[in-house]
Amino acid sequence: MIEQIREKAKELLTSGEVKVVIGYENGGMPETTRPVFITSPDEVERLIWNKHCYANLANFFVRKEVASLGKPAIIAKGCDVKAITVLVQESQIKREEIVILGVTCEGVGEPLLSKCPICDVNTPRDYNFLFGKEIAPKNGINKSADVEEFERKSPEERWEFWEEQFSRCIKCYACRQVCPLCYCEVCIADKNQPQWIETSSHTRGNVHWNLIRAWHLSGRCIDCGECERACPVGIPLSLLNRRLAKSVKERFGYEPGYDQEKAPPFTDFKQEDSQEFIR
Amino acid sequence: MSRIGVFICHCGENIARTVDCARLAEESGKLPGVMVSVDYKYMCSDPGQNMIKRAIAEHKLDGVVVAACSPHMHEPTFRAAVVQSGMNPYLCEMANIREHCSWVHTDRELATEKAIDLVRVMVEKVKRNQELFPIRVPITKRALVIGGGIAGIQAALDIAAGGHEVILVERQPSVGGNMARLSETFPTLDCSQCILTPRMVEVARDPRITLYTYAEVEEVEGFVGNFKVKIRQKAKSVNADICNGCGDCWNKCPMKKIPSEFDAGLGYRTAIYVPFPQAVPNTPVIDREHCLKFLKDKCGVCAKVCTRGAIDYEMQDEIIEAEVGAIVVATGYDLYGIGKEQPNERWKGYGEYNYDTYKDVINGIQFERLLSASGPTQGEVRRPSDGKVPKSVAFIACVGSRDPEKGIEYCSKICCMYVAKHAMLYKHKVHDGQPYIFYMDIRAGGKNYEEFVRRAVEEDGVLYIRGRVSKIYKDGDQLVVVGADTLSDSQVQIRADLVVLATAMVPHKNAYEFAQKIGIACGSEGFYSEAHPKLRPVETMTAGIYLAGACQAPKDIPDAVAQASAAASKVQLLFSSDELEREPIVAKVNEVTCVHCRNCIRVCPYSAIDDKEIRDRHGNLIRMVAEVNEGMCMGCGTCVAACPSKSVQLAGFNDEQVFAEILALGHE
Ligand SMILES: Cc1cc2nc3c(=O)[nH]c(=O)nc-3n(C[C@H](O)[C@H](O)[C@H](O)COP(=O)(O)OP(=O)(O)OC[C@H]3O[C@@H](n4cnc5c(N)ncnc54)[C@H](O)[C@@H]3O)c2cc1C
Ligand code: SF4
Ligand code: SF4
Ligand code: SF4
Ligand code: SF4
Repeated sequence: MIEQIREKAKELLTSGEVKVVIGYENGGMPETTRPVFITSPDEVERLIWNKHCYANLANFFVRKEVASLGKPAIIAKGCDVKAITVLVQESQIKREEIVILGVTCEGVGEPLLSKCPICDVNTPRDYNFLFGKEIAPKNGINKSADVEEFERKSPEERWEFWEEQFSRCIKCYACRQVCPLCYCEVCIADKNQPQWIETSSHTRGNVHWNLIRAWHLSGRCIDCGECERACPVGIPLSLLNRRLAKSVKERFGYEPGYDQEKAPPFTDFKQEDSQEFIR
Repeated sequence: MSRIGVFICHCGENIARTVDCARLAEESGKLPGVMVSVDYKYMCSDPGQNMIKRAIAEHKLDGVVVAACSPHMHEPTFRAAVVQSGMNPYLCEMANIREHCSWVHTDRELATEKAIDLVRVMVEKVKRNQELFPIRVPITKRALVIGGGIAGIQAALDIAAGGHEVILVERQPSVGGNMARLSETFPTLDCSQCILTPRMVEVARDPRITLYTYAEVEEVEGFVGNFKVKIRQKAKSVNADICNGCGDCWNKCPMKKIPSEFDAGLGYRTAIYVPFPQAVPNTPVIDREHCLKFLKDKCGVCAKVCTRGAIDYEMQDEIIEAEVGAIVVATGYDLYGIGKEQPNERWKGYGEYNYDTYKDVINGIQFERLLSASGPTQGEVRRPSDGKVPKSVAFIACVGSRDPEKGIEYCSKICCMYVAKHAMLYKHKVHDGQPYIFYMDIRAGGKNYEEFVRRAVEEDGVLYIRGRVSKIYKDGDQLVVVGADTLSDSQVQIRADLVVLATAMVPHKNAYEFAQKIGIACGSEGFYSEAHPKLRPVETMTAGIYLAGACQAPKDIPDAVAQASAAASKVQLLFSSDELEREPIVAKVNEVTCVHCRNCIRVCPYSAIDDKEIRDRHGNLIRMVAEVNEGMCMGCGTCVAACPSKSVQLAGFNDEQVFAEILALGHE
């Protein structure tokens, strides 16, 4: 499969159709990979594809340095493509200005990352070229089993849990930097007039930050799990993300990343929207 | 450094009764930045205002807080006062210590504490207020009138007479509305058509009025003085420029059995038709749902007989775009259906009156058509089932109206009058006939109305029976009307040849959707809401959109016409200046931090935000951002809440100000 990808990358670069191919290369240590930006057809041999290609490369589209290289092609798993779809929806990129080299994926990581068993986009939903054998989407998966499990705890227990988790946050903002959908150039966390989020590493400010981050991604997060993977102190951010995703799905019947024509729920009003919370 | 003045009003006893104003003044005076703090019996009075003006000069104030009633009441008063001392009006704010405090609390101690909090909050806000200047927007001096009933016609004529262009949109093939269907009108019994048709003709003839019939308003965007509207001109299939209304086509059309909407189903029309002989314009339209050419690609007779070649089967709907400065909504009313099918769940219909099954149970409009010289019976009262002249007719008032069980609580206002009229006109036509009226009580408030009803009873021998009808059933070729007579406390049974139901006046089926489309409010029944029930009866809450006629509430013709003229005069008033001053409480995008996620663009309920390209000086596109159109922004703040990067701010209510207010509350 990697041979075909390299071949296609070469072809695209040679013809000038794209100026850069964003993909993965060997990470230098066993079982690691890192993003690579191939701009010359001679370098395509550096591209690899394996179980350790975790990164969601869609993150790089909105980076100025990458954008300045010219039209990109990107190697994307099903989950990564969902991020691309949201970026298109939110007018951060134009679909026709990128080339998606979709790869079918049985899951990454050993053991599999938590998002993989509940993935229904093993074959990406959008691509220009597809590599690998198509995998039919799994039926009847419960995407919020871990949330339901967690919700069996009492509110006090849950609060205690999160307070403990957030108290360890060091506000490195790695979760934000790695998220393909956190593309604001000046984040609310950086605003100081007024200051929305306390910057000191006090639990109160940490809670502010973590809740605002999750909230800003509700109805948008496509569960690539990159934030959780990046967090140096191991806060289970995906659990929080999935909790919000569950609500959005229940209330608005919406899952981000599946349909770029659909209006995101928080910026769309419908007469029939559930309004039981207005009393 | 801030130099704030705090002015505390007693509002007579209204505030002083519950709030210790002297203490409030004292405490407010201690707040950082407050230079002067005084209380006074009536701040809004001349001496009160002068106190503020003097203090501004004396203490060189750069901000004013008036702690008094709701800003709804007196913000304009105090802002005008500070302007006289050379201060920008937006540096003056009100702390509402009446509605938000004295009126809703009883404990003087706690209320005073709360008042101190409210003042502190406002002082902190005012410190961060900035001078704002009104926004000026030009006014398009052209009006759109929606609905060509008598109300719409009157409004259009009046606005045009004032020298302005008018676009009149009517969805039927002719103007005239319900009034065109009436026979004679209470309380004078003049012929409806005779007084209406000259106006219909005038509307078509006036060069300042552009008339679109068989057309509907599709979309309204923009704001007062600057609306952009889209009108769908439905394909008439007849070229109105060529057609001279000779009638050859509709005389030859083979589809002769289509129930006529205009005759409320009592008469028939053809597939190519004008709804009634005096229709304006007098050019026909093809009803494509019934035309053989469209149904089966057969026939084509009308095109063959039209000597002028006016028939055009290929004609398409057309979208007309127009800019207007004001809109008058005059879409009129409908009648409560008494059969099974109802447009909503609340309305139950009148199964017990068997309207669905008995041909001789009809509604008021149908009876109007039977009375009308241009109606299906040429004005002879003949019942629908067998064409017999009915010798006794039972009229039933309040069918649907004032009957919460059937879904409507309100009174339709006009039925008492037209029921009397119907009985009277019937008697004039069928001298040996007997009219009965079942009624709840007679509401004849209006000039010469009571006299009219009396005449029905005294001169025309109409029998009024006070009570509701519980059942109508058939016996032979007659109908038996079973009801209560609450005056004699007995059951009555009347044998009638014809039963006429005075059904409730209701909004159009799609009134709610239409209100949404054009951006006005409607009440739970679907009648459009005026801005204030007493003081602003012809305006809507949306600036620049006015109401006329029965779309607002049940109305008779004089009321509809009066309101139409009132709406027209409001439009003229708006058009009397070239520019409109708008409050500068509008949103603004910080182009440096905006990332063009388009959240704000999607959420803005007024479509006031657009994409903007930022280009370098060679014209290369660098990036996109959002931009607020100041003329359209209503200052709702929705975009501010939706922006993830906090790149939109509302002037006068920016995050800093709001934060300062919240922090001031948490103080202590
Ligand atoms: C049986 C009966 C008898 C009556 N007798 C009398 C009487 O004797 N004296 C009296 O004073 N009053 C009488 N009335 C009341 C009278 O009919 C109304 O007061 C009057 O017709 C109201 O006029 P209007 O222009 O507000 O509404 P309408 O006459 O209903 O006109 C509204 C117009 O708007 C059009 N329209 C609706 N929606 C749209 C849209 N979305 N786009 C474009 N056009 C639209 C409609 O097609 C219609 O032409 C009677 C009413 C009834 C039911
Ligand atoms: S919030 Fe985390 S899981 Fe969601 S899109 Fe961003 S990085 Fe991926
Ligand atoms: S990555 Fe983890 S530690 Fe860093 S800011 Fe996010 S939650 Fe906090
Ligand atoms: S405040 Fe924002 S959302 Fe509201 S009208 Fe103005 S631009 Fe639109
Ligand atoms: S919501 Fe904020 S960031 Fe997004 S387009 Fe509007 S102003 Fe820009």
